[in-house]
Amino acid sequence: MSEAFLAVKEIHKSFNGQKAVNGISFTIDKGEIFGLLGPNGAGKTTVIRILSTVLEADAGDVTVGGYSLRKNPAAVRNLVGVCPQDLALYEELSALDNLIFFGQLEGLSGREAKSQAISHLSLMGLTERGKGKISKFSGGMKRRINLAIALMGNPKLLFLDEPTVGIDPQSRNNIFETIRSLRDKGMTVLYTTHYMEEADRLCDRIAIMDGGKFVAMDTPQGLKRQIGDPDKVTLEDVFLKLTGRSLRD
Amino acid sequence: MKRALIIALREVRTYLKDKADLAFSLLLPVATFALIYGAFGGTGLFHGTAYIVNEDTNGIYAEKLVEKIGQEQSLDVELLSRQDAENKLDRSDLNIVLLIPSGFSDKLISDQPGELTFLQRGNGGQEGQIVASIIRGVVSGLNQEFTVLDQSNQLLTGKDIAPEKIAFTTQKFLEKEQQSPLIEVKETAIGSKPNMVNQFLPGIITMYVLFAINVGTTAIVEERRKGTLERLLTTHLSLGELFFGKFMASALRGFIQTFILLALSYAVFRIFTPISFLECLLIALLFTMACSTLGLVIASVSRTQDSATWIGVTFTMAMTMFGGTFFTISKGTALYALSKLSINTYANDAFKAIITEGGHISDLGVEIGVIAGVAIVGLVVSRLLFKAVPRGK
Repeated sequence: MSEAFLAVKEIHKSFNGQKAVNGISFTIDKGEIFGLLGPNGAGKTTVIRILSTVLEADAGDVTVGGYSLRKNPAAVRNLVGVCPQDLALYEELSALDNLIFFGQLEGLSGREAKSQAISHLSLMGLTERGKGKISKFSGGMKRRINLAIALMGNPKLLFLDEPTVGIDPQSRNNIFETIRSLRDKGMTVLYTTHYMEEADRLCDRIAIMDGGKFVAMDTPQGLKRQIGDPDKVTLEDVFLKLTGRSLRD
Repeated sequence: MKRALIIALREVRTYLKDKADLAFSLLLPVATFALIYGAFGGTGLFHGTAYIVNEDTNGIYAEKLVEKIGQEQSLDVELLSRQDAENKLDRSDLNIVLLIPSGFSDKLISDQPGELTFLQRGNGGQEGQIVASIIRGVVSGLNQEFTVLDQSNQLLTGKDIAPEKIAFTTQKFLEKEQQSPLIEVKETAIGSKPNMVNQFLPGIITMYVLFAINVGTTAIVEERRKGTLERLLTTHLSLGELFFGKFMASALRGFIQTFILLALSYAVFRIFTPISFLECLLIALLFTMACSTLGLVIASVSRTQDSATWIGVTFTMAMTMFGGTFFTISKGTALYALSKLSINTYANDAFKAIITEGGHISDLGVEIGVIAGVAIVGLVVSRLLFKAVPRGK
């Protein structure tokens, strides 16, 4: 029987009286890639912010690896790595310096941080560019470094908030392969994206979120089956059917 | 604490890697020092220009007067036409001009009193008054010469002595008296020298340290702009550590600049003793720390770089003005009461006490207490006000 590494129970979050997250619950098993899809403003980033301890939920609780987020956020931070949607890098520093800096903040010694940084640069295919300044990197390279930083400290649970936005197919492919290899080593991943075919290829299960709630949660095949023949319909068809075709802010 | 140090070191590393920023911030105190040196350096004695309208063309006493004024070490002479002088006075290009009227020499030759006039705007300005005072001294010396010559002539005329010999001998006595006056005025310096550098350096240092406010404001806002702030908060770094790290980095950066300025002043102007130099450094460090925390308070309430910059600049200007940085505020005035609200007042008083008055840090309990208090309270308040994301950390 699989074991839930992340368990989210009825979390709520409002901003100025407006519900951003409205009582969602889900679990992610150890070594599972869980996709979180939704239109703009659905509440995906707020969920990730709550799970990564940046925001506090108004109600509900989250446990990660058996630790309650509310009671023991420091222990939870030990277990998670976050790759934010926006590139969060120090452009004036080298890739290696960025990785070492964040590694040290994760509690690694200077030597450990450097060793992990070199290993993660290799994983991202950027060994040769380690000493290059981030400001000189292409968009795809920056995205890969953004992900590599999230891996510093070897987290058990990885939050990836649209990690492939605006990059070339080679970089995207590298990121996919990295995520799969991490999953194969037992890492648990929560993945948000707007690219449906990406979620279809990568995720074991997917939740579709709209208006702060889950409107569906299943395997990609299971979701497609809800509206027709899974070999003929796409995940995008499911998404549009469940969230509507009206434009979002 | 270790993570706060990592944050501070990262800031320092970024500072060192940005060559333009590094060069600018290190050259700024050198440039400021060069300006101070240009303005007040050298002897520290007054030097001005005597603007003169000489309408007594070819008058021997007018020429003699101009020549005597020109011999004053602290004055240069610039001759102007009457029209030119009036235009410049009208435009406030000049504040005071000496007018030698036509017939000035003829009157003196015919034993009538001559008259000189100062054309001036208002009281002639501070420099103008000094120039006028020096000119009055020259005129007084000339008066004395005429009186002595006149009396010698009266006493010796008709005693079978050639007038040329009377004039020559009298002139010799006058010159001897000038070289060895009966009453000589000497200067003995007690404590530090009261020169312009001493007067203005405390204000300049205070202003300089205030730049740390702007460094402090940008430190946090930049993290928000880059998107790294939220990422930092997902690590093991606490907000307290983040703030303390930023505080250390901006205080260090501000202090390095102030150190350069003080060290150059120490080496070139020689207005410090080793002890007073170290005391000034200590006050500068404490004041930089206080300013850095004020910068963090501003950063805590600012959402954008622009708002942080504007609040920082407005705050700095208000502190400078209310703090009487470059002028003395009279006791009992409303401005004096307001000045007590400016941290500049305490820093400026502390620097003045050491640089200008030759005091010691042990006499500055109130000033040191206020500055240290601002540093501690500022750090706590900035942390309490700060929200990385709305309703979040």
